[in-house]
Amino acid sequence: MLALDLFVNGLIIGLFYALMAVGLTMIFGILKVVNFAHGEFYMVGAYTYTLVSLGLGVSPWIALPIAAASGAAIGWLTERWLMRPLYTGYGSWALMKDEYAVVVTFGLSLLLINLFDKVIGPYPMRGPALSDVTRMSIGPFMASGHKLITAAIAILLLVALALFIKRSLWGRQIQAVAQNRLGASIAGIDTGRASSIIFMASGVLAALAGALLAPIINPAPDVGIFPAVKSYVIVVIGGMGSIPGSIIAALALGVLESFGAVYISYDYRDTFGLVVLILVLLFRPQGLFGERAREV
Amino acid sequence: MAIPQHPAFLRSKLTQEMRLSLVVLVLLALAPLAVTSPYWLGVLIVSMYFAMLSTGWNLLAGYTGQFSLAPAAFAMLGGYTTGLLAWHWNVPLAIGVPMSFVIPGLIGLVLGRIVLRLSGPYLALTTLSFAEIVRLLIYNSIDFTRGDQGLNVPGLVESRLGNYYLFLVVLAAITIGVFLLLRSRHGRFFQAIRDDEIGAASRGIDVVRSKTIAFLVSCAICGLAGGLYGTFARLVSPELGLIAQTGMVIAMVVIGGMGTLVGPLIGAVLVYVASELLRDVGNIQMIVFALLVIIFARFFREGLWGLARGAFARRRGAAGAAKGA
Amino acid sequence: MRQFLRFAFAASATALAAASYAADPIVIGVSIAQSPPGSVVQGTQVKDGVEIVLKMLNDKGGVLGRPLKVVYEDNQGIPEKGRAAVEKLINRDNVVAVTGGHQSSVCLAEIEVAHRTKTPYVNTNCWSDDIRTKGYPEVFNPGNYNTRVSSAMAETIAALKVKSVVAFAENTDYGIGQAKLLGEFLKKEAPDTSYKYVALDRAGKDFTPAVLPLRGSPPELVVNIMLPPAAYILMNQLYEQGVAPSAKTAFYDGAGIADYPDFWQNVKEAGKYMLAFGLYHPAMPMPDLGKQVGETYQKNSGNEPNRLIFQAADSVLLIARAIEKAGSTDGEAILKALREGEFEETRGKFKFSQDKGYTYQQWVEIPYVTYQLTEVNQPISKTTLIQVPGEPLKIDKVLKPAR
Repeated sequence: MLALDLFVNGLIIGLFYALMAVGLTMIFGILKVVNFAHGEFYMVGAYTYTLVSLGLGVSPWIALPIAAASGAAIGWLTERWLMRPLYTGYGSWALMKDEYAVVVTFGLSLLLINLFDKVIGPYPMRGPALSDVTRMSIGPFMASGHKLITAAIAILLLVALALFIKRSLWGRQIQAVAQNRLGASIAGIDTGRASSIIFMASGVLAALAGALLAPIINPAPDVGIFPAVKSYVIVVIGGMGSIPGSIIAALALGVLESFGAVYISYDYRDTFGLVVLILVLLFRPQGLFGERAREV
Repeated sequence: MAIPQHPAFLRSKLTQEMRLSLVVLVLLALAPLAVTSPYWLGVLIVSMYFAMLSTGWNLLAGYTGQFSLAPAAFAMLGGYTTGLLAWHWNVPLAIGVPMSFVIPGLIGLVLGRIVLRLSGPYLALTTLSFAEIVRLLIYNSIDFTRGDQGLNVPGLVESRLGNYYLFLVVLAAITIGVFLLLRSRHGRFFQAIRDDEIGAASRGIDVVRSKTIAFLVSCAICGLAGGLYGTFARLVSPELGLIAQTGMVIAMVVIGGMGTLVGPLIGAVLVYVASELLRDVGNIQMIVFALLVIIFARFFREGLWGLARGAFARRRGAAGAAKGA
Repeated sequence: MRQFLRFAFAASATALAAASYAADPIVIGVSIAQSPPGSVVQGTQVKDGVEIVLKMLNDKGGVLGRPLKVVYEDNQGIPEKGRAAVEKLINRDNVVAVTGGHQSSVCLAEIEVAHRTKTPYVNTNCWSDDIRTKGYPEVFNPGNYNTRVSSAMAETIAALKVKSVVAFAENTDYGIGQAKLLGEFLKKEAPDTSYKYVALDRAGKDFTPAVLPLRGSPPELVVNIMLPPAAYILMNQLYEQGVAPSAKTAFYDGAGIADYPDFWQNVKEAGKYMLAFGLYHPAMPMPDLGKQVGETYQKNSGNEPNRLIFQAADSVLLIARAIEKAGSTDGEAILKALREGEFEETRGKFKFSQDKGYTYQQWVEIPYVTYQLTEVNQPISKTTLIQVPGEPLKIDKVLKPAR
């Protein structure tokens, strides 16, 4: 049945959106800064996966964790060199913290895109699929083996993240920092390390999203821009700082786009999310699940 | 942390910057004496287009603290206003070009109202979404806008040199206009809002009105730049509104000096001319600029202009000390 | 002493001037996409074709005794950049002619500059009819054009005797233009066949929502009017969902993607049973010069040549021949030679038509074939030719998959 097909397809797409968006939610919600280079973390993951498996002849299953590591590395570097000064409070930018984050991560995004374009070349590559089965049916649905495996991996990752934040020691430290940074540091929590962990986790998730989608998206230097814009939309709609909120928003966006493409218009598919974003910002700025008082 | 900015102090800093802007404009006016190749004149014309965009964006972001990511989208809107009016209804450029100032300005006013209560990343995201929606709309409305083919725009001036001076005159007018605006009490309100919005409101400043004016003027300027550009290139296409173009504008303003009058001018000319020169060296211009943006944002918020001013101040200080000693 | 130095200086200056005049190269400008969002694959193939001919001509002593030189500019597939690139080539590099265009929206912007400056412009691979209908005397079209493809596709579809057709077109001037033309031609050639087209974003990554409705009500034929990489994604998703190629639905490509070097690597099984509209097939009759260019390309790159190589080669050869016929590099003279000359380069004999409309300064009867891919990773030479120029389609040769 068409509607069911569209729904399932939308959910699968939504899972990948969720992988991308959750990392951004953490940065937004906990560190209260924006990261405009998020799409490039995704791109780095896609490229690492593709280059490592194609260039070194390594199995894609080994290339995946390597891609994750690259995401962690770039997340850590970004936080350490570019973002750290924001909280240690310094100089003339102290008054415009948000704007600094916007400009500096924008610059980082431009830098990464053009650096990869120059060093690796602009030709789209094709990452290897995790499964050679190009089509299989599960009940009434048909999908490629790769799509099913990656959807399963995505679900595992999201569950793992939730457990990490809720249960582990570091996770609880991160929650403390989210609630009150100053208080957390007084209580003896290393806020710098918490920030690093958050950026690294965000990088890992985005990189894995890129790697898992590599066979479909054909990595090219500018491949991260669109997913990034979708992520911002999801993060705001779900409520900045609410991880469950962004997951739900991501799934909803995937389904909305899937149905909208067929029943409303295929051309303007990408504008749906953006329009919803503007509406949400106007009428319910805290998003679906976020807390109030966002303007200050 | 914030040095209270006394109006008189602000005004003299502004006047100083205006004098320097005039110097830059005069240099540009004399440039054709040394630069005769039509190709390089064309490069300078595009630099002036970017200088207009940068000045407009700087008014909104650097002076009023509203970090919009939509300047390129408004330039595209301006270009398409002029182009569509001419293409579908044969509206002469004498009306079409001023319309590229008015209509984007009005759209900017509406956008400004929408994002009134937003700040920082939320403002950036909303304006980014707006910019992308507009670009996609134009790209996909193939029957109306000819989509990715672009729209042919009639030329205003035939000769390369004529276009050059046209752009220069408009750039000068925009710079002077922004200067006068900043010098007025509106300018003080803008900066008060940028530095401390709540404090400004509590001092009785009509924040809503000021922000709206800033958006209106900034978007109108960007639109006009786009409309003029269309008559120069004889073509407008959705690529004018790409986020990458906004990225160029941000780079130019950050490198030149955000929140200063002359920063956008020097930033635009230097960055664009350098990008053309660097193109031959192997296409690394965007890498260089992105690095510069990061470095300047991280270490030199006042941009090149700030660095230069600092150097002058130190020399004057040293000379003064020597004289006094 | 000073007198001597002055004399030496003058003498060496004149000697240098004389020497440089003799070796003064003729410069041709080539504007291609060498970075995204342009089609880098296409741009590179155009460059390859140009380079082969450049070497060939220079090995024989160049043109009019002067060496031939090519300056490349990257237009990134963006009309605005194309305009700037051509301006640069004309103003800064002083080229005698511009060629290389392979993306219609860019060509449309570039011909404006060529027209304003009265520079000869040889349209290598832009299919849009608008380029011809504008009637610019500077623009010559030895390559394919949309109407040709649309009418050819309509004839083929009529010969296949299918009752329902769905076309996927990219949302560009090329895609939508072709899709509309195809509809018009089908109304004449096959009035009983139902036809509709869906416009897709060429930068999109997921077309499944557009494909899913076809599962429930499959058409008998799906037509592709999209370029890679979107075309590959579409094919993969059509295959993944079991829509096409299948026992019920055949897949017909009108965009010439089968001869892209990265075709099989990207589509794998999804490409088996694909029917293709082709401008080049190794089994086609071809002049010796064409065979020579094809062999050189095969030797240099290890890949089979495709139409872009030949079209690019022809573009440069046309300019060179026109200069020789005119005996000068003056723009007007070149234009006259192109208008009036008869040419036979790598693909066959032709003369540019002067009829207004989409045939203006176009090689009207461009040869084409239809063939079918029957095995994964099959090189073009092993595919089944089911239609050659001048003959009807052999429908009994068309294979269908089991399910």
